[in-house]
Amino acid sequence: MAQYHPNSMRANEARAGKVANSTPVKALLVLALVALLGFGGALLFVHRPLGWLLIGFAFVPLELMLWTKYELKMVPTGKSNRVDDLLSNECLVHMGKHPTPQQIAKWYANTRSGNFLATRYSITPRFMEAITANAPQDMAPFFDKAIEIREKTNSEVISGGVLAVAIIACHPNCEQILNSMKLEIGDLYDGLTWFNYLNDLVKGTKQKRHTGGFARDLMFGYTPLLQRYAQNISSRFETRVGRDMSIALHQEQTQQMIDVFSKAGRQNVALIGPEGCGRGTIVNDFASEIMDADNKISSRLKFRQVFKLDAGALISAAADRSQLEILMTRILNEARHAKNVILWLDNAQVFMEDAPGSVDISSILLPVIEGGSLRIILTLDEQRFLEISARKSTLANLLNKIMIEPASEADTMKVLQDRVPIFEYQNGVVYTHWALKEAYRLSERYVHDLVMPGRAINLLETAAAYPIQERFITDASVQKAIEQTYGVKMQSTHTDEDKDKLLNMEVFIHQRLIGQDSAVQAVSDALRRAAAGVRNEQRPIGTFLFLGPTGVGKTELAKAISDVYFKGEGEIVRVDLNEYVSADDVQRLIADGATNELSLTAQVMKHPFSVVLLDEIEKAHPLVLTTLLQLLDEGILRDVNNREVSFRDTIVVATSNAGANKIREYIDAGEDMVTIKEQLTNELISSGEFKPEFLNRFDEICVFQPLTKESLFSIVDIIIAGVNKTLEPRKISVSLNDEAKQLLVERGYDPKLGARPMRRIVSKTVENIVARSVLSGAADNGAQIIIDAAMIQSALN
Amino acid sequence: MLAVSFLQWWYSRGWGIYFLGFRDRLRNTADFFSIGLLLKTLFEPFRQISANERAANGGLDAALVAFFDRLLSRVIGFIVRVVVIIGGIVCLTGTLVIGLIISVLWPLIPLAPVAGIILCTMGVAF
Repeated sequence: MAQYHPNSMRANEARAGKVANSTPVKALLVLALVALLGFGGALLFVHRPLGWLLIGFAFVPLELMLWTKYELKMVPTGKSNRVDDLLSNECLVHMGKHPTPQQIAKWYANTRSGNFLATRYSITPRFMEAITANAPQDMAPFFDKAIEIREKTNSEVISGGVLAVAIIACHPNCEQILNSMKLEIGDLYDGLTWFNYLNDLVKGTKQKRHTGGFARDLMFGYTPLLQRYAQNISSRFETRVGRDMSIALHQEQTQQMIDVFSKAGRQNVALIGPEGCGRGTIVNDFASEIMDADNKISSRLKFRQVFKLDAGALISAAADRSQLEILMTRILNEARHAKNVILWLDNAQVFMEDAPGSVDISSILLPVIEGGSLRIILTLDEQRFLEISARKSTLANLLNKIMIEPASEADTMKVLQDRVPIFEYQNGVVYTHWALKEAYRLSERYVHDLVMPGRAINLLETAAAYPIQERFITDASVQKAIEQTYGVKMQSTHTDEDKDKLLNMEVFIHQRLIGQDSAVQAVSDALRRAAAGVRNEQRPIGTFLFLGPTGVGKTELAKAISDVYFKGEGEIVRVDLNEYVSADDVQRLIADGATNELSLTAQVMKHPFSVVLLDEIEKAHPLVLTTLLQLLDEGILRDVNNREVSFRDTIVVATSNAGANKIREYIDAGEDMVTIKEQLTNELISSGEFKPEFLNRFDEICVFQPLTKESLFSIVDIIIAGVNKTLEPRKISVSLNDEAKQLLVERGYDPKLGARPMRRIVSKTVENIVARSVLSGAADNGAQIIIDAAMIQSALN
Repeated sequence: MLAVSFLQWWYSRGWGIYFLGFRDRLRNTADFFSIGLLLKTLFEPFRQISANERAANGGLDAALVAFFDRLLSRVIGFIVRVVVIIGGIVCLTGTLVIGLIISVLWPLIPLAPVAGIILCTMGVAF
């Protein structure tokens, strides 16, 4: 069992260091040093022996200052595995004679690592005090746990943060506590590793970097053209220690680049990977590595400067193609003669194709790459590389290719942790752990133009503009960022009112939809399951096929779902599949938003939380239906650019009139709805209307019944309620007596067309009557218009 | 207790820290003047300025002009480098001498007050 000794040498030194490092003591020591030296020096002219005495004593404050600075300020850890030897300086200073977990909970946030955890993981001292006891007997197992955590997290010392994590880990209800904070113990370990990493970075910045000195550039040539048309990215590493990203992530690729350029042979590297995978960062890492004299790098490569060529500046500087070629040749010659230049062609396709903003100079580059007289780095994405390979196979074959894959979640989190200090410094904010997690989750789902880690970095950086409580960037900030800047409308959390709506969904839906009980029941059950989290996250929230004749409420139910679940009828992405009747229409369905903003994928990218209404699905070409299979199955659809578009937060509703006549026949024959659904499905498959694998993809197939005259009575009420809503600003209300309603139902009933004729007839009668009354002045603001059967009859005539 | 701790530190870790700092100062000075690099490229043309393009494209006259251009560039480069190297050596020597003196005096520094008392009581007036 580990025990703490408050009178150990380290503890005494740490406490002495706190006193010696205080401003008054430091000032006193400086004053004493200056005074003793000054007086001593002066006395050498008056009374020499006394002068020497004072000068001799002047060394005492000097020695104390050195001791404080290099030892007491940060007492080094001991060699044993005892708590006394492992506790950090800050902890030793705060630790009392008889520490208890509760006492530690009071001060741990005053240490750097403790404060780090308190702010980023919301482990506040108040919370920690609440879960700890003032029990000295708990300390031995607690210190054992702290030693274990220190080892697991590769921490140099037992810091305040380690003690805080140990407090939670030792708690009997540890899991419950962590669950309430939406954390796992691994997250806290990760937090300590994050702190250690940043701490090492800060330490690194205090070390001087050896980059060749002021005479280094005397070895190499002048580069006036490159200074003008390129950016020297190596210059930023002359004074700064550290790189832009976690070294481990791209170490392999960076080393590959060093290897290629260190040996004889083709002196080029093509970094190929999708946008956002970190191609530019690898080049930066490489530039940083070769600038450091302390690294074991071949002298052929050491201190070489990486110049990033600016295609825009080049193209704008040259009046025509021939001038551009001359300029490019001069630049390449200059780079070659300087003998220390590595040329970086970012987005290399810009230099290899004729298009707006790009120019094909591959004929000039080819001999340079072939000859190997100049080191060149090309960065481009896979698709562009394939295109270039197809057009210029000789050039493509000469390149030393290094493929870069998108980062995994663990690596992306490391990169985010690495970037956070920069964003925090630039924006004066503090990022919480949940902000990073949310940036990963949301960017993976809704940011389509980049891959990891680029997409998460972008989102996290954007979130800095939406702080919560003045300066904290939380998961809510990230959600707001994606809403505001990426145009993705996020769904807010369900309030009590929403929960009530979900629990009584059938009632709310029936306020606007008459009958169709079995369909309403099936949809309501599915959505309640989804809202409660009892659903497969890797599929859409719900997928429904609504079968039935026209005008019976299929679209209306889709709108009702949108209203109840997504809080607005507007959240519907509607695609009429009768416009997708040929195989070529698949391209239009998944077109890029830049060329067709009404394509299914483009609309869902903008509105990921919506009801996707696929109307008249039976009219779509079979290829279109096949395309939709993956959407229904995995909630993913790839657009023409091969970007994954997530449908996992949508409710997919497909409607079809197929089998409408059969439904009517079965109902007339008195079949129950379960049998009708079964028989109808079988018939749709056997008739070749739909393939079984397509129908199987839906969560529910809902059969809508034709409307009866009784249902139309209620529908009239709903339509009149709609008219009244329109007249609401003028405070005019309309009501119909029973005879008038009866007449409307008689005239508006058409079993084949459902409720649609009723809408037309209400428009023709009721709305016309109201319009005439308003225009004639018979009905003024606030009037109540009562319509009877005679008025309806008159309007019909 | 703390006095013992101080003396322990002064004659062990403290001395070591001083030596590390001394080593770093020497390395920083050497890096600042790039002496190693300058020696390796002592006879290279100054800033790689040469006329090799003209030589490659022209006849004997052009080759001769290029040769003398290059020679001149090498001479200038040599002079500049030698000047920098001499400056670097002076600075390095200074750093080395001062560092060595302090290294030798380091163990004696804690004795300075005692030395002061002795000098004072003996009435030494040098």
